[in-house]
Amino acid sequence: MRLTKNEIKVIKETITEVFGTEAVVRLFGSRVDDAAKGGDIDLLVTLSSPTNQPVEKMIKAEAKIIYRLGNERKIDLLLDAPNLNQQQIHRIAREQGVLL
Amino acid sequence: MKIAAEIQARLAFLVRVVEKEIEHLDYADQQVFSSSFNRTSIENLAQTPEYALKIEAFSSRFCRLQDTLGDKLLPALLAALGEFPKALLVNLDKAEKYGWLTSAEQWIALRQLRNRMIHEYIDDPDIFYSALVAAHNNLSLIKDFAGYLNKQVAELLSEES
Repeated sequence: MRLTKNEIKVIKETITEVFGTEAVVRLFGSRVDDAAKGGDIDLLVTLSSPTNQPVEKMIKAEAKIIYRLGNERKIDLLLDAPNLNQQQIHRIAREQGVLL
Repeated sequence: MKIAAEIQARLAFLVRVVEKEIEHLDYADQQVFSSSFNRTSIENLAQTPEYALKIEAFSSRFCRLQDTLGDKLLPALLAALGEFPKALLVNLDKAEKYGWLTSAEQWIALRQLRNRMIHEYIDDPDIFYSALVAAHNNLSLIKDFAGYLNKQVAELLSEES
């Protein structure tokens, strides 16, 4: 996995702040691959209960992470909650994702 | 402060662009967020190509105005005030510090909406619907920022004339 300790800390703290302590966050995509270089930070956030206004929360969390990491790194967050549609990408992210 | 004529012309031009973009965005906003806007109307977009077109106009105008303000007018204004060109995050922080922008972080959040308002890419109507609602609910942040920047430019140019 290609994230620094600080990046992991910032991501986990922000996800808890925005989605609550029940939220579980996984890293998936190219950043899981140690041999790759650069790339977006793709995150899957899984919630055990339904959520309102999912996109408001997603963009809020992304912006906080971007701000706290202090650069314009591309963060792409995928949300998995009981009231949201399950897409193939959710399954792939869950299977390939590494728990942070 | 003496500002070069071409910089003054560029600022005046960008202010005119912003004013037009706001007008067009407001029109698209009224067209989309009428009584027919709801979760079901978003799910059935394939059957309502006219409405899909209106939504596309709203999304692209929303993103374009953000680009014009954040990537063009703000750096041009800061440069005219004698600031060195910096990255977007630094410029937005400065705008917040000067009181032109309510929240730089919220501005970045709204930029994150762009890929979630392109319905061809979105398989999930919940996400698409929620993204459109978020954009609509936050229009004032963008328009207020535009208002402050335009006012700053007007003051700057009046000092020069």
